[in-house]
Amino acid sequence: MKDSLKQFVDGHRSEFDHREPSDKVWDGIKNSLPNRTLWNNVILWRAAAVLFFGISAVLFTLGSFQSGNKVERSQLQGEFTDLEAFYSEQIADKVDLISDIQEIEDEEFAQDFAKLEAMYQVLREQMKTHPTQQVKDALILNLLVRIDLLNQQIKNLEDSRKEEQQPEV
Amino acid sequence: MYNTGYRIVNDKDEAEDVLQEAFISAFNSLDTYRGDSTFGAWLKRIVINKAINQLNKRKTERIPEDDRWDVKAEEVEDALEGYPFTVEKVRAAIEALPDGYRSVLSLYLLEGYDHAEIGEILGVTESTSKSQFNRAKKKLKEILGAV
Repeated sequence: MKDSLKQFVDGHRSEFDHREPSDKVWDGIKNSLPNRTLWNNVILWRAAAVLFFGISAVLFTLGSFQSGNKVERSQLQGEFTDLEAFYSEQIADKVDLISDIQEIEDEEFAQDFAKLEAMYQVLREQMKTHPTQQVKDALILNLLVRIDLLNQQIKNLEDSRKEEQQPEV
Repeated sequence: MYNTGYRIVNDKDEAEDVLQEAFISAFNSLDTYRGDSTFGAWLKRIVINKAINQLNKRKTERIPEDDRWDVKAEEVEDALEGYPFTVEKVRAAIEALPDGYRSVLSLYLLEGYDHAEIGEILGVTESTSKSQFNRAKKKLKEILGAV
């Protein structure tokens, strides 16, 4: 049977997400997050990850964004596509480099990396439907955080290789 | 996410508390995210669970007392051609529904869960969810003055 209410809601879905939370929510989240020491092996990266999660949280909180006009939207998408291609290539190169040195055995590293990738996919969907500067920034930050994480991993692997190569005294 | 929580608890301050708790809880449980659903869907489910808990804290009956549980899903006459109301009126009518009806209706219509999933979220059977949804629709039409 045709459901006129469902058709009505589907046709106006975004208009039902009209409410926005106050800044108090964001302050509360921000004040609570730094206590967590989930990724305590790399302080700088952890801080970046926390920042990224915070930005994601705000973006999810806002739900729908005031997207600009069509020209602004396609400009944002175009800028993002270029940056995404640039940083994604760097990420792929670094992953290859790590794989050449050794298999990724660091479970925590692999999980953190996968979580960032998952967050990235959600934001990427948002970028397709509601492109804004905020979403673009969060996506770029996610890529940069992953690059930083990979750099740290490469440095750790190189350090341990140097140690192995040093002659025993 | 805020709107999802708001539609269940129907209160600004409580919806903000729910959202804050949900995000903090999600961050602290990131290691339990298995990737079998999208990150957004995982996060939304946490928001909904927190909101339902908040409703329960209020000791509000999720389903009005005069309704029987586990009743067969009834079909509701849907004679309206189109839906001759404004979004503002429909939003206000949804907010005027009793907690139980509002939760089921929002989860089905706006959050996109099916009745089996809603049953799992609310701890009722699939047919109860269907039945409550139909009753919620009927009540909504009454509020809108369409019946």
